[in-house]
Amino acid sequence: MEDTTLINLWKQQDEKLQKNMQLNLFLLESLQKEKAAARLNSLARFKGWAVFLGIAWILFLGLLLYGNRFSNPYFSISVSAILVFNIAAVVVYIKHISLIRQLDYSQNIVATQNKLARLQASTFNLRFLVLQAPFYCTWFWSTDMINANPALFWSVSVPIALLFTILAAVLYRNLTLENMHKKWVRALINSTPEHTSVFKAIDFLKQIEEFKKG
Amino acid sequence: MSYFGTMDRQKNSDEFTRQLETHKLIIYKICHAYCSNPHDRDDLAQEITYQLWRSYGQFSGQSLFSTWMYRVALNVAITFYRKAKAGDSVIQLSEPDPETEYKPDDNAELEADINTLRQFISELKELDKALMILYLEERSHAEIAEILGITETNTATRISRVKDKLKQRFSQLKK
Repeated sequence: MEDTTLINLWKQQDEKLQKNMQLNLFLLESLQKEKAAARLNSLARFKGWAVFLGIAWILFLGLLLYGNRFSNPYFSISVSAILVFNIAAVVVYIKHISLIRQLDYSQNIVATQNKLARLQASTFNLRFLVLQAPFYCTWFWSTDMINANPALFWSVSVPIALLFTILAAVLYRNLTLENMHKKWVRALINSTPEHTSVFKAIDFLKQIEEFKKG
Repeated sequence: MSYFGTMDRQKNSDEFTRQLETHKLIIYKICHAYCSNPHDRDDLAQEITYQLWRSYGQFSGQSLFSTWMYRVALNVAITFYRKAKAGDSVIQLSEPDPETEYKPDDNAELEADINTLRQFISELKELDKALMILYLEERSHAEIAEILGITETNTATRISRVKDKLKQRFSQLKK
């Protein structure tokens, strides 16, 4: 089969399409106005909800911190650390939303799709959140609690906090796109609400890489 | 807004509408290649038109309007296709297309070939599909490379690989 035959077949299909073309492209009046705002894509909408919940959580933590007024240093330091991690996560999500909204579809296809797929797989950018885990083991500590039963504190509370610190560090090191071949990393991502779109995005990133290689 | 500002906007809008009218078959063809469901196809066409309008302010005229249009339309179609695939609700690749399917007065062999070509393109991965559409649209390798963002050498290699598979498919059918 000749190349020209393929192109001619395509042209024949064009003719059929042209005959049936009923496309109403001129809904521009409505497209230019309020509809534009509603077209924010689902990825940005999901992240918008995450920002909303994140801000609510930050306000709650701020209130707790303000109520405590540093009377218990363990509580204040732990909640402050959790607060910092969550503020950082909200900032990352706001940055993502802004990137999604500014996405320029007139750039070349590989660059645009690569950017979009990376944003979809951006759960990995929030892996620093696992580092807050140890602070959830220390916020309820107090001098009174330690003095009341030092043996229990050193034999149970401290090892649990240490275990979570090690676990957080291991997760932080391993939760990367490059480690997606590890079964347990995939299983962990599978437990997140965004897992389907993350896996699809990762597969698509692989496709883009292969495509770039030729 | 000043009188001249309003005039400029109107002129821009008129120019955009004129260009869109001239090249609207591009949108239609891309919608057909990426979406087999007529209802979703309309949504995709609207989304492409909206994104074209949104990006039109940045169109500098350094490339052809059609080149720029292919970039926006293919980017939107690929994004739409991937979203639809994630939802598993829109893409039904083997579904006959009422607008291109066989009619009794048509040449049966030609129809079969067109359907094979259409089916083959619908089975390609997102980026290869874009590549093949541009090739069949007789765009130069340099222009395809510019639209896709890959080198001309890669463009040529990939086109020849996909084309070989397509020819193989046709020769198997003819046996």
